[in-house]
Amino acid sequence: MNILVINAGSSSIKYQLFEMERETVLAKGSVERIGFETAMITHEPAGKPDWTQVKEILDHGTAIGEMLRLLTHPEHGVLRGIEEIEAVGHRVVHGGESFSESVLITPEVKQEIRRLFDLAPLHNPAHLTGILAAEQHLPGVPQAAVFDTAFHQTMPPVAYLYPIPIVLYKRHQIRRYGFHGISHAYVAGKAAELLGRPLKELKMVTCHIGNGASVAAIMEGKSVDTSMGLTPLEGLMMGTRSGDIDPAIVPFAMAKEQLTPNEVNSMLNKHSGLLAISGFSSDMREIIKAMENGDQNAALAFDMYEYRLRKYIGSYAAAMDGLDVLVFTAGIGENSALMRERICGKLSYLGVRLDPDVNARPSGEARVISTPDSKVAVLVVPTNEELVIARDTYRLARSLKSRQAD
Amino acid sequence: MRKIGVVGVGTMGQGIAEMLSKSGLDVLLVERTEERLDHALQMIELMLDKQMEKWAITAAEKKMIMSRIRRAEHLQDLAGCDMVIESITEDLEMKKELFRELDRICPPNVILASNTSTLSLTELANETKTPDRVIGMHFLHPVADIDLVEIVRGLQTSDETYERTKTFVQETIAKKAVLVYESPGFVSTRLICTLINEALHTLEEGVATAEDIDAAMRIGYDFKYGPLEMADRFGLDAVLAALERMFREFGELKYRPSYLLKKMVRAGQLGVKTGQGFFRYDKDGDRL
Repeated sequence: MNILVINAGSSSIKYQLFEMERETVLAKGSVERIGFETAMITHEPAGKPDWTQVKEILDHGTAIGEMLRLLTHPEHGVLRGIEEIEAVGHRVVHGGESFSESVLITPEVKQEIRRLFDLAPLHNPAHLTGILAAEQHLPGVPQAAVFDTAFHQTMPPVAYLYPIPIVLYKRHQIRRYGFHGISHAYVAGKAAELLGRPLKELKMVTCHIGNGASVAAIMEGKSVDTSMGLTPLEGLMMGTRSGDIDPAIVPFAMAKEQLTPNEVNSMLNKHSGLLAISGFSSDMREIIKAMENGDQNAALAFDMYEYRLRKYIGSYAAAMDGLDVLVFTAGIGENSALMRERICGKLSYLGVRLDPDVNARPSGEARVISTPDSKVAVLVVPTNEELVIARDTYRLARSLKSRQAD
Repeated sequence: MRKIGVVGVGTMGQGIAEMLSKSGLDVLLVERTEERLDHALQMIELMLDKQMEKWAITAAEKKMIMSRIRRAEHLQDLAGCDMVIESITEDLEMKKELFRELDRICPPNVILASNTSTLSLTELANETKTPDRVIGMHFLHPVADIDLVEIVRGLQTSDETYERTKTFVQETIAKKAVLVYESPGFVSTRLICTLINEALHTLEEGVATAEDIDAAMRIGYDFKYGPLEMADRFGLDAVLAALERMFREFGELKYRPSYLLKKMVRAGQLGVKTGQGFFRYDKDGDRL
């Protein structure tokens, strides 16, 4: 069965086409700058040369049409016809409290995604546009929604409530939701598989540290806590996001600097984190390079990032009363041996012992980087959110098919 | 709506252009001379720099916003726009001339909007062969911060033009639309200029100092600025022009501009833009 995975943003669409019997990627690509005369299409079919084109694409519907045309193109395509796409999986950032697992898209599901616009104003509207555009081009093809928040719906109230007036939760659903759930779930499963131990018996901390970053505490394969909250601003220090700060800073800074709510929001989301402390970059690779050249601000940015992440790992070990497995994933987690080394170096009280040689060896594979006698297994697992979306969509589409056959 | 023409890029035109681009629209600017266009683009860039200092936007966002604002060589270039917003000087004859030309250049489905605050929309529309597509969109200064637009219906504005404009205001640029029928000063200019004029009478009569008049209204009624500082920020010449227009049109004494206002305009003390009005300002427009 061929599954098309779509990740629609406000002005871009990323896609991957999977063949699910062998879980291979047939093609992937993106359409960027949708809404402009100079939109850019990038298409990478497996076994054929890449193809890029700049042309006018004014809406998501046209972008998906363009993408389908390329997938079935005689020269650049990988399919004979569009009917070879048997299901479509969509990434949806916010599923609120309504979705604790992936679902087939129905009118009710779309209604619910729309209702959640308030909680994810930048993401959910774009996802819905992507869903509607895909439905228009592929009528009758089953479509599934896979949510970034769903995995964390198993968090208990002790972890998901904020200690503020409870009416705010009742009236506006102000609570902690968590994000990157697709990734946390995937790397946890993959780590257990690699260790040959059942997920049910493990206490895990997974660190998804890329441009956005979050940590999850996972017991018996279920998320029991995670560092992001109502929005992806809470928790770790990130590239341009502050992460945890004293909330009183917000009204204080607004009064002192005469800022509007929009300005202070933009300050914390786009002008903080590594960028604010280093003064020049939000990219960890550039921070490390500058640090090695003696830049003091870069070193401080690196140290703060590492310190805040390590505190979270320690607090989740406390939350679970122990730790068996520590997983690193996403851009920084997969590629920065230095960051992993620094963090693990000061987790010795938990019994963490890193194998410095294995840690330092670059690899694109999932691997254990701790020594055999380490009390906590430390792993690097490259994340693959698209594959999870494809798998969930495959499962839902097959069960729909078998129900229809009955 | 994807591409909007802005004719006349003074203070209001600059604010409108910047706000439109920030909403993701392509903007085409028209001015009388190259120099005025250069100046307008510089001012827009300065506005964006100030926002960057306040963390409202990033350097990348500033670049995007600037890249969507382009200069037109001729008025003819506006033929490809979905809407044209006029914000030239409040001079009836100049605006009439402009609307005649826009009517000739722009295909009939293009909305022709005026940012006038006191002139007659119906009179402007009457210069065109297609008065049904002429409408008023009255923005308030500073455009980026004030989420209100008065949509002004002239006598011949069609329902379709009104509906399209309302959708544009509420959805595309996400501002509150208030429907007003043609009348000098509409709602906002009429009420605020009357307040300013009364504040001037109060000052002239020696009831209180300028500082105290402003404090009373600012603190007592939760205004961001008191009425005299507001006048300084609008430009005293603009306030005088609006009052004179309303006085002529309505013929009522309550709109007769205070003599103090006339004197200050004659002395060239126009408020923030000259550094001196009822209060003094630095070149960034901050109170001294």
